[in-house]
Amino acid sequence: MPQLFVTTRKGEERSVEFEPGSTAMQAIYDANFADILALCGGVCSCATCHIYVDPRFVEALPKMSADENDLLEGSSHRNERSRLSCQFRLSPELDGLRVTIAPED
Amino acid sequence: MTDQATAERDYFSDPSVLKDPYDYFEEMFSKGPVHQLQSRDIVMVTGYDEALEVLRNTQDFSSAICVVGAAYPLPFEPRGDDVSEQIKAHRHEIPGSDLLVTYDQPQHPASRSLLNRLFAPSRLKAMEGYMSGLADKLLQDAVARGGCELVKEIAVPYVTYVVADLLGVPAADRDLFRAALDQSAPPGNMNDSEKPTEFSALEYMAGFFVRYVHERRAAPGNDVLSEFATAKYPDGSTPDAMELVRLSTFLFGAGQDTTAKLLGNSMRYIIDTPGLQQQLRTNRALIPAFIEEVLRLEGSSKVTFRVARKKTRVLDTEIPAGKRVVVALAAANRDPRRWEEPKAFKLDRPKIREHLAFGRGAHTCIGAPLARAEVRIMLDRLLEHTSDIGFSEAYHGKPGNRRLDYEPSFIIRGLAQLHLELKAA
Ligand code: HEM
Ligand code: FES
Repeated sequence: MPQLFVTTRKGEERSVEFEPGSTAMQAIYDANFADILALCGGVCSCATCHIYVDPRFVEALPKMSADENDLLEGSSHRNERSRLSCQFRLSPELDGLRVTIAPED
Repeated sequence: MTDQATAERDYFSDPSVLKDPYDYFEEMFSKGPVHQLQSRDIVMVTGYDEALEVLRNTQDFSSAICVVGAAYPLPFEPRGDDVSEQIKAHRHEIPGSDLLVTYDQPQHPASRSLLNRLFAPSRLKAMEGYMSGLADKLLQDAVARGGCELVKEIAVPYVTYVVADLLGVPAADRDLFRAALDQSAPPGNMNDSEKPTEFSALEYMAGFFVRYVHERRAAPGNDVLSEFATAKYPDGSTPDAMELVRLSTFLFGAGQDTTAKLLGNSMRYIIDTPGLQQQLRTNRALIPAFIEEVLRLEGSSKVTFRVARKKTRVLDTEIPAGKRVVVALAAANRDPRRWEEPKAFKLDRPKIREHLAFGRGAHTCIGAPLARAEVRIMLDRLLEHTSDIGFSEAYHGKPGNRRLDYEPSFIIRGLAQLHLELKAA
């Protein structure tokens, strides 16, 4: 199975196998990272699934919707690598993706 | 002490538990955050961390019994340490097994993804005008009469029309839906152990959705129903038309009693918490924080259910395969290890949004953003049109000695009726 690499808020990195078609949030959440609360369950309304994407992958990801952009605007930790992990699905091409869980707002 | 005095009350049928479930949950919590009930073959989880653990763990816990709980026997005799195959083979015999909330992997995330876009913030934002106009229409009449019964006269039609609008149901059909729902009992009915959860209204509405989906698939337009009817699974395949029918119909069931009852529970806090009504009138921006605290203290879903697929653990407690679990969301929301002064009503709790009133994890209530918007807007309009809101004392008695009837459900927490006196603004 393809995998992604997740760095926690404490700076520890772990690899996570993913099922293509699942969202990044689902993959991270199911691997029991306590830092990802995902309070809204993936409907783009809580921003507690905020991650930073490795710059080499930013372009490869599906584009951000206006809803995702607006919600990220509300985070004081937004930067150019920010994404909501529930708002994109993982394809086999994203094997090796590296992400970091953003600080809590 | 006699056996009688120490015997546990039955969660599923005892009227005193219905009246005050919190007192009962506290009693169970004192026996341990994960506790095997005496009266039924089911484990009750009342601790916050423990509840979270069960909700998160979709590997070991199935949602198949989510709407029937222990009110209905498992259709099989669990064998061994892994009953996954037995659940799979028998799930269609469990009532409610065609509702999204009872699905497991791999069908669950696929089906859920079809609904995601309906609840996008921009779409909900676009509906706010409709919601507030609808609330005004329902309330003007009530205020002119000087009062109303909030649950059935206002809340139920309101939430039914809103879900119909969300899905783009043609206006002419909306009244028919409402009439069908008016006649049905809420899920987890304590008064009917033969049929704890009844689905006839949903079946009636399903007839309409069969037509909508076929029509829109044949000739898609730009409306919400067309978008929904032509949605694809994440892997690009096309869902069966009947699956779309089941999903859309379920939204009416899932969003109706819960939201209507939350409105009633909110109203009770507004009226009976000293100073609160005035505080909210002066500063309506506090309404969202107020709603979160009501969800924590008296959310409209008391519990949900899981069944262990495999032999597993919940923190320190071992759970055998096939064991049913009642996750007491309302108890977790008052766990003293998680919430300071858990029984106190406070508007400024840190991390309040981490309450479990909408569940958590894969099955987290998908309609939570809508429910929050619906209740916020209705409360805002109620305050707008009135200068004072009170209980009708003829129906509910005086403060300190209220007569309140709760919906006889082991799932839903909310007033069956709430008669209000409304003083026009
Ligand atoms: C205050 C109002 C509401 C409350 C307290 C509430 C509560 C819940 C809870 C606790 C769950 C999770 C059950 C579980 O994990 O076993 C849930 C699931 C669900 N809710 Fe809500 N709900 C509310 C309003 C709504 C509304 C307005 C809608 C839609 C219009 C809705 C649609 C759903 C759906 C579709 C699910 C199933 C999600 C899944 O299984 O993936 N709910 N709700
Ligand atoms: S889980 Fe809530 S926005 Fe992603």
